[in-house]
Amino acid sequence: MLIQDNLHLSRSASDGQGGHEFLYRVNRYGISAKSRPQEELSQIHWEVEVIKYQKTDAVKFEICHDTELAAKTLIFHNDSSLNEFLEKSFNYFKELGLLEDMA
Amino acid sequence: MSLDTVKPAPGYLEHLPVEYQDLVKHGQYGKKKKVSDMGKFKELIEEHPMCAGCAMTLFIRLVFLALPKPEHTIFVGTAGCGRLAISQGNVPFIYGNYGDTNAVASGLKRGLELRFPEQKKDVIVMCGDGGLVDIGFQGLMHSWFRHEKFSTFMLDNEIYGNTGGQESGMTAQGLVAKMSPRGKVDEKMDMLGLAKVAKLDYIARIVPTNPARVVRTARRAILIAREFGSTYVQAYTSCNIEYSIPTPDVMQDAFDKEKKEYGFEEHFSDRAKAYIDDLEKKDKAAAKAAKK
Amino acid sequence: MSPETAEAKQNSTSKHANVPGKPEGWVPAGDLQEVISLEEMQKLPKETIFMTGSEAARESIRRANVDMAIAYPITPQSETMQQAGYLFDEGYIKDYYRAEEEIGTMSAISGASRAGVRSLTATSGPGLMRGMEALASWPGARVPIVMLNMCRVINTPLAIQPDNAEISFLLNTGMLVLHAENQQDFFDWPLVAFMVSEEVDVTLPCTVSVDGFFVTHARGNVAMCDKKYKIPPRDGWRNAVPSMDNENPPARISRDAPIQKSNFISYHMHASWQQEVFSAVQRSAKYFDKYLGGLIEVVNPGADEMIIASGAAVSQAREAVRQEEEKGNKVGLIKVKTIRPFPTAQVIAAAKHAKVILVPEFNQTGWLHKEVCTTLYGHTQAVIYNGPRVYGGMTMPTELILDWLKDIREKDKSRNHF
Repeated sequence: MLIQDNLHLSRSASDGQGGHEFLYRVNRYGISAKSRPQEELSQIHWEVEVIKYQKTDAVKFEICHDTELAAKTLIFHNDSSLNEFLEKSFNYFKELGLLEDMA
Repeated sequence: MSLDTVKPAPGYLEHLPVEYQDLVKHGQYGKKKKVSDMGKFKELIEEHPMCAGCAMTLFIRLVFLALPKPEHTIFVGTAGCGRLAISQGNVPFIYGNYGDTNAVASGLKRGLELRFPEQKKDVIVMCGDGGLVDIGFQGLMHSWFRHEKFSTFMLDNEIYGNTGGQESGMTAQGLVAKMSPRGKVDEKMDMLGLAKVAKLDYIARIVPTNPARVVRTARRAILIAREFGSTYVQAYTSCNIEYSIPTPDVMQDAFDKEKKEYGFEEHFSDRAKAYIDDLEKKDKAAAKAAKK
Repeated sequence: MSPETAEAKQNSTSKHANVPGKPEGWVPAGDLQEVISLEEMQKLPKETIFMTGSEAARESIRRANVDMAIAYPITPQSETMQQAGYLFDEGYIKDYYRAEEEIGTMSAISGASRAGVRSLTATSGPGLMRGMEALASWPGARVPIVMLNMCRVINTPLAIQPDNAEISFLLNTGMLVLHAENQQDFFDWPLVAFMVSEEVDVTLPCTVSVDGFFVTHARGNVAMCDKKYKIPPRDGWRNAVPSMDNENPPARISRDAPIQKSNFISYHMHASWQQEVFSAVQRSAKYFDKYLGGLIEVVNPGADEMIIASGAAVSQAREAVRQEEEKGNKVGLIKVKTIRPFPTAQVIAAAKHAKVILVPEFNQTGWLHKEVCTTLYGHTQAVIYNGPRVYGGMTMPTELILDWLKDIREKDKSRNHF
């Protein structure tokens, strides 16, 4: 089970390829974690992107590969390792928010 | 419980049809009937729509006589002549889709064992050669290899009697039948051989020429299946219509067939043999004691 | 029933005294569970676990007090039924075997159900089609089997992808047909299916269909109660027709099958038997209504644009509704939970006001679209659009539904309709 803090939206993956997407948000940044169907159940994993939300109320965002967290799509094979990453990200985003506010 | 369902409520019996009264008063429930008793008690099956002189009917009547516990027996059948008679017996009968008998019986028997662990219920598959070796072959084989605890009786008339005389897997090689216009190409399927490969606990081949032997064989098949696993009885039950056997000659045909190629055969597993020997010894001793 | 019954005796004796392969004194896990009604179970505190649909089905079976499970492996069903095998090993299911193929499976499970025990099977697309003769005969035999159906492509070219065309073949069998949306439904609904199908005025088989892979092989949130609870067992004495146990006189239907005679009485008997089966389908509605909280779910009632969907298409439609809401558009959604009985009155009440109706589906034939058209004919002025649909394992992105809505609003004639 993933951390529920900062969970902005959970939805059926909108690309229609099945699976579920969890969207987290801290300030303008966030994490998209998708779990998709796999022919072999043991291959089910998390596809994770660092994302940056647009300045609108709607859930619109861009994939963001410019942070220190990740320069590419990340793969996690279990919930606990993803939760660790989420905790780390939330702290990072908070600091990033402070820095951006100062700028 | 089951015998109670046969018995009407007190004071009600006299208002039932005489046939039903006979079944209650003079039926085979709770008693062991012999062939020599036939005509002196109310059989489980009497009226039926089978053709005059049908050997299959004789065989079916004898198997009903052999039932060790008709009040705890369920027949499973399929399309074919046999079900016309079996369904008239005073024993529940499941008439399923063509060729589904041994699969239905597998689920039924296991279900009954779960629900009534203290009360053995006999499940008996009885149907024709086509239903078992052609359309029902897969289900038959798998029930055998799983050693499901029910007996399978094949009414082998060596043809599709009910649909009007088409060749079946059990038709003899060379026979010209409907759908084998040049004579049947392949040999009669060796179901006894397959039963041996599946290591059934009891296998028998029989022609209903000796009624007492039919009853004994059927009883063995049912009791061994109840105790250990699958049993198989293959009975030659000629179709006098499709083979144009005059009614008075049906039994002669049976004797000829038996002599020529359908001799009585019986195969036991070791455990089944020991069980039946013991059981029949006890039965004999009990009968002797009863005479005294 | 009277305490003298053989069944009553069973309860006073040890049921599993010596089970092969298990140590002496082994107690089946199912015997340690506490029986509670499904209503009570639904009210219990729940833990939410992110799990696959196959795992959700397993957890449902664990709590379903199943006596007998028989199945033949087929992708994507096998994940569930091999798990059922482990449940059997633990003692949550009393008997279990891998059958020879689906005609054998569907016939054997009907034998088990006729014996009066709770019976479960499962299959997928091609397996369903193979077992079709057998399962089309279940409703007439009045066997309350629950069949999980993990939908899969049935046409050539062969594929294992989700496509629910097979559900259309079940619609006129007399079976109860549910179409689950997600993992949560696939946990909740099999339990409901057992309770409803075994109601004495129903006594019918029920399939819980789900779109394969998208649900079975993907994870979703499932809230469930503790595994120490199970629903009440099947009462084999309580059926529309007696069990084939030779404890009761059997129904005449199995003794004097109408096929044995060709006359007016036999035709009449067969016709009335069918009428009774389809009446029983209707009678099941009140129970489904109780356990499912309605035969349909409506999001944004009263919207001019309504989406009517079942199964995984509902999830995509939900997201489309959400995204339209972000744009300030109110789009409605009707989730059809029970395909049989079809919630005719409920769909009419929820959709008659609409101006536009979309029916997104994961199949080429559009069986739900046909149901919707038939249901709403004469009751609405809405234009019922014939789609959007994907099939053969194709995906349905939310954009597909959004595009259809956009085109319709812009009066683009490329979207056909009836």
